[in-house]
Amino acid sequence: MRSDIQDNDKIKVRLFAVLREVVGEREIIITVPSGVTVSYLNNEILKKYPQLNSFSNKFVTSVNCKVTTGDTVITSSDEIALLPPVSGG
Amino acid sequence: MIPLLLPVMKLLFCRQSAGDEFLIRITTNHLSLQEVTRELEDDSAGALSIFMGNVRNQGRFGNVSEIYYEAYSEMAEEKMREIENEAQTKWGIKKLVAIHRIGNLKVGETSIIIGVSSEHRHEAFEACKYIINNVKTRVPIWKKEITQESQKWTDGILLE
Repeated sequence: MRSDIQDNDKIKVRLFAVLREVVGEREIIITVPSGVTVSYLNNEILKKYPQLNSFSNKFVTSVNCKVTTGDTVITSSDEIALLPPVSGG
Repeated sequence: MIPLLLPVMKLLFCRQSAGDEFLIRITTNHLSLQEVTRELEDDSAGALSIFMGNVRNQGRFGNVSEIYYEAYSEMAEEKMREIENEAQTKWGIKKLVAIHRIGNLKVGETSIIIGVSSEHRHEAFEACKYIINNVKTRVPIWKKEITQESQKWTDGILLE
């Protein structure tokens, strides 16, 4: 019976700059099935926070301080962040 | 008490020694040109190049009163260290300081100082230019221009 139950991970996602302001939080928690990819996570984020839809092609996702591609598999121990276009200096 | 403290002090000293020629910081404190210049002192360096970025009173959205800088500090430190290592490999510089200030900065205040010392001027100029150009495009720092009428995040470059 237990093998039919899918394990879930609670993923912490840090938000910065305009994304932080639009959502109103510095950090959000998204619950996803274990072993999902960055693409899956991003889709779940957009479903939960539809106000981010207009920014969907205006941010990249970092995992443990590295910008990643959508097929990167994530775990709850990873540090994940959504990063809008940078403008320092 | 003193014997107990000794191992800790030694550890701190060792760590400082290992990285003291390449200090990098994201800070909320005012940036001091004097302190940076002092960090760059090296008797074998004949050239010292410094770039300072200051808040201008004109921005993309009008007359700027201040700029708010935000950073993903952990990643920003890591990316700046990566850029520093590239500069070191390319030009064999003697010492390097790169500090970016975050928070609210008024017009005229310094947001970033890059300082490089090297044997000759060519390396110092080129390394300084390389570092500031790469900080602008590869480090997760964002700025919001604050004018009388509005507060807007400026467009930038998506990280790769």
